[in-house]
Amino acid sequence: MDKRVILNRMRRNPFFVVGSIAAVVVIVLLVFGPMLIDFDPEANSLTERFLPPEGFSKGLDGHILGTDQLGRDVLIRLLIGGRYSLMIAFIVVVLQVVVGTILGILAGYFGGIVDSIIMRACEVFLAIPNLILAIAIMAILGTSLVNLIAVLTFSGWVNCCKVTRNNVRVIKNQEFVKASRVLGAGGYHIMFRQIFPNVTTHIIILASQRIGMTIIIEAALSFLQLGIQPPTPSWGNMISAGRMYMTTQPWLVFAPGIALMIAALAFNFLGDGIRDVLDPKRTAV
Amino acid sequence: MLKYIGKRLLQTLLVLFIVSIFAFALIHMAGGNPALLLLPDGASDEAIKAMEHELGLDQPLYIQYIQYMIGVFQGDLGMSTAYKIPVADIIAERLPYSIKLTMGTVLVGCSLCIPLGIIAGSNRGKPVDFFAMFFALLGNSMSAVWLAVLNVFVFSVWLGWLPSMGAESFSNIILPALTLGYPMAAEITRVGRSGMIDTLSEDYITATYAKGISRRVVNWKYAFKNALIPIITLVGMSIGSYLAGAVVVETVFAWPGIGQLTNQAVGNRDYQLVQSLLLVSAALFTLINLVVDIINSLVDPRVSLE
Amino acid sequence: MDEKILEIEDLVVEYKTERATVHALNGVDLSLSKGESLGLVGESGAGKTTTALSILNLLPEASAVIKSGDIRYHGKSVFRMNDKELQSMRGGKISMIFQNPLTALNPVFTVGEQIAVVLRVHQGMSRKAASERAKELLEMVGIAGYRIKDYPHQFSGGMRQRVGIAAGLACNPEVLIADEPTTALDVTIQAQILELMKELQTKYDTSLLMITHNLGIISELCQKVAVMYAGRIIEYGTVREVFKHPMHPYTAGLLNALPKLEGPRERLVAIPGRVADPQDLPDGCRFHPRCEGCQARCKEEIPPMVRVNDDHYVACFGAKEGI
Repeated sequence: MDKRVILNRMRRNPFFVVGSIAAVVVIVLLVFGPMLIDFDPEANSLTERFLPPEGFSKGLDGHILGTDQLGRDVLIRLLIGGRYSLMIAFIVVVLQVVVGTILGILAGYFGGIVDSIIMRACEVFLAIPNLILAIAIMAILGTSLVNLIAVLTFSGWVNCCKVTRNNVRVIKNQEFVKASRVLGAGGYHIMFRQIFPNVTTHIIILASQRIGMTIIIEAALSFLQLGIQPPTPSWGNMISAGRMYMTTQPWLVFAPGIALMIAALAFNFLGDGIRDVLDPKRTAV
Repeated sequence: MLKYIGKRLLQTLLVLFIVSIFAFALIHMAGGNPALLLLPDGASDEAIKAMEHELGLDQPLYIQYIQYMIGVFQGDLGMSTAYKIPVADIIAERLPYSIKLTMGTVLVGCSLCIPLGIIAGSNRGKPVDFFAMFFALLGNSMSAVWLAVLNVFVFSVWLGWLPSMGAESFSNIILPALTLGYPMAAEITRVGRSGMIDTLSEDYITATYAKGISRRVVNWKYAFKNALIPIITLVGMSIGSYLAGAVVVETVFAWPGIGQLTNQAVGNRDYQLVQSLLLVSAALFTLINLVVDIINSLVDPRVSLE
Repeated sequence: MDEKILEIEDLVVEYKTERATVHALNGVDLSLSKGESLGLVGESGAGKTTTALSILNLLPEASAVIKSGDIRYHGKSVFRMNDKELQSMRGGKISMIFQNPLTALNPVFTVGEQIAVVLRVHQGMSRKAASERAKELLEMVGIAGYRIKDYPHQFSGGMRQRVGIAAGLACNPEVLIADEPTTALDVTIQAQILELMKELQTKYDTSLLMITHNLGIISELCQKVAVMYAGRIIEYGTVREVFKHPMHPYTAGLLNALPKLEGPRERLVAIPGRVADPQDLPDGCRFHPRCEGCQARCKEEIPPMVRVNDDHYVACFGAKEGI
């Protein structure tokens, strides 16, 4: 698509503007924030349990968001937990896209038996709700960061695969693909040099929308003690732990809860914005 | 029509067959000896051998699988190692709660948001559309974890209006249904809106206007039926996944449905139960999808041809 | 001259897109009298469909802007009608047949419903009466009546266009606008549909605005013809007169581009150059870059419509007046 049109749409799409700014702010905070705060996210300090949020009254040296049941600074845990969430989400989405796209292109391009096998596999994965599948696998494989990433990838590649496959089936029959076949291009060349560039728009849209979703699923798993394990912080396990103290120390759930919501909102806004901006069907103003 | 349903049923069975192998393999990767778990501590070697024999654990794996499947077709889903009662009984006890919660959720999700999506889609770019989109994005971004806790905080702790856990009375269902219903409502709004936008740009809508039909009737009768098709699919998929287990919400609100059971089974390392739950979830989910496709073929006459 | 039902006066319509402004109509003047059948001919992009949609005030709100001009139905501006007046005009007094029968019928409603709704809305018929009448209408256009309960996808393209015609004629409209009703159809089906339209038009004394790029259809079906180029009418008159003595080089070019069945075979003469780009129209006469007889003033001034004789008007500086 025309670069000018894309830039124009970007500027005029409030969701894209708000989402991209918010996403950048979230990323910058999570990446650089922990460098400014001088607390250990995992070291207990029983004398400092349940300190209420001090805000910026002591500058960056105080417990800005208070401390938790083990006397750990909430803010540093929030930031480190967010780093994990974000890192996991990015890695998972990239893996989902790579796996989904390759399988989707193979299925769409070859059709026949290859297509049948890959599509049946998709149906099997679709038949078990994402979270249930993730829970069962995590419970059996055991909880580790690698397993968590594998499970999240495993339960989310189908979407990308199906979309890519359907696109490829359409593109495969277009003239330019036929032409390059007539010119003697091989399967690999046609699939990845001719067809792939034509499905990237859909893949970008899909990937941008999955980041927020993955953050949310990871939080759910961690909440259920099947994701990131304490004492390593994550938003999910912070909410889970803080839940006990909701009536007396509400900041323990509110801080990670709001952080989770803002991060998911930022990436969902961005995802939606990107879809609107790149949507090839859209023509009106 | 019958042929279509038959074909779909066969496909569903094939998928469930693969799921059953997958679940079986997964559980056997976990290791552990169910015989030990079913017996009291310090049971004799003979007793263990006898139990293993009774459970068929001394057989090769494929025989164990075949026996398991034979059992499944007879309604025997194995013994829960944690509860020491048949898995089928446990699931039968929990399923009604999941059904109740699902119904509540669908009610919350559909009542408000089908109209909202339609209104937003037919007023593209206007304030109401913007509001609906914001509402939808917010709903998509509210993880069940946070929304559940927030609802408990607001309605139970702060206002004290509603109970935060249990399943005894009607008031118990409100919070979990709201928590599950909001993201669903958000998704319905989104799908309804984009369905409406796509439909309204079709030639046949211009043609309907050209017949002198008012905007209200075009939106709510003619375009509505077209926009309803993706909504039905979405609602069906949601029903399937809530029936199969709204794990987080049921855990937070101590709602004794399939989701909570799954979480408990995993916590108890009750692998027989986990295995059967995977199969039952998949069966529920795919069957609901089949029903949805049949309903869709009634709304959309083009479907039955495929 | 007979009573004018429909008058289009100096209509200018633009579409705003992300990239540019599309000048779809640049001052269209046209009128239609009672019982008359008028052909509107031009290449794609000349503004034919925009003209048709403007008459029913159905231009897409989001992108189309009516810059100036007016359309009057029995003297009343369609742009100033309220919703009620518009609705009673659309489908009741002026109805339209769309170009692509495959997309112009709603796939999730029966064809019976899509015909009957017109009768219920405009003639206040009961559900049952409307459905009975819809059956008769289907039979009138040559489709078995029992098929009213079928859905559009169960019909072929030609059959669907018949359904469109049945719905269009359901209320005996004063004016029928047919927007390239046969373009999407096979040639044999085209002939049947045209035959049907001709028959029904004479039977009900409906005025017809036939939009097409096919000159054969015009000579077959119409008394008057208006040739459109780049959003303006450039030649207008009776079919006989205009086709026999085309005054505008564009019209002449169109006629020359037609293969002739009689006489010695000649090479077809294509009009040189490209259709004017409505995003970037040339100054002066829109046709001058492609015109062989182009003069200096053609590049600067837009030629006005001048009378050749009572049956013939043309907008070209090269044409001599009053032959």
